Amino acid sequence: MTEGAVAGRTYPPVTFEIDAERAAAFARAIGADPGQGVPPTFAAVYSLGATAPQLFGDPEAAIDFARLLHAEQEFEWTRHPQPGEIVISQGRIASDMSRRGMRFVLFETETKDASGDEICKSRALFVIRQ
Amino acid sequence: MKRAVTFTREQIAAYAQTSGDRNPIHLDDHFARSVGLPGVIAHGMLQMGIAGTVAAEAAGGGERLRRLVCRFTGMVVPGDIVTFTAELNGPNKIDIRAIKENGEAVLTKSSAEYV
Repeated sequence: MTEGAVAGRTYPPVTFEIDAERAAAFARAIGADPGQGVPPTFAAVYSLGATAPQLFGDPEAAIDFARLLHAEQEFEWTRHPQPGEIVISQGRIASDMSRRGMRFVLFETETKDASGDEICKSRALFVIRQ
Repeated sequence: MKRAVTFTREQIAAYAQTSGDRNPIHLDDHFARSVGLPGVIAHGMLQMGIAGTVAAEAAGGGERLRRLVCRFTGMVVPGDIVTFTAELNGPNKIDIRAIKENGEAVLTKSSAEYV
């Protein structure tokens, strides 16, 4: 088991507006009723989705997208955002370990509202076949 | 709560579009085969979205969910029928399962918590 050099790396915060139309389209794509508000798993967009491109685009993190599997995902919510709300998310490589030809990257994102109160935490475990 | 979903290319493409995850393994058969997959596969996060929808129904509304965890263990391709179930298990906890027609579990160790 070896630890990667980018473990602990934190990326700059990303601002995201919860767009009502996009949340409704997302709801339809997952078989939810768009009339029921922003689906909880829209966190895949406003939290994980807002920050993961920083990880994937980081040449030093060297994530091979074609060999990437999303192995586990966890979301924790203090509350769910409303349409029109601005949220700020910050991603961090919590751990980066390799063993037996597999690399395990745990990517955590904290999402806060405009007042600075936390609303969501995302933990994504990515496995990259090496 | 239980829901059987037949996955389609259109649904996978719609999820790619609205989620912003346009990895070609979800959209392009040729590319997917070039990296050792049978063809395009559904996003794990699409499966989690459906699981979250069923869990939200079990919890009495999405705004009540406080935690959702999924482990993606199986590949879902267009045409697969996956049955998602969310069952209350003790105070404020929900067990989640997603099983293909052939009995293969595509989500394991998956659960939700609600208030």
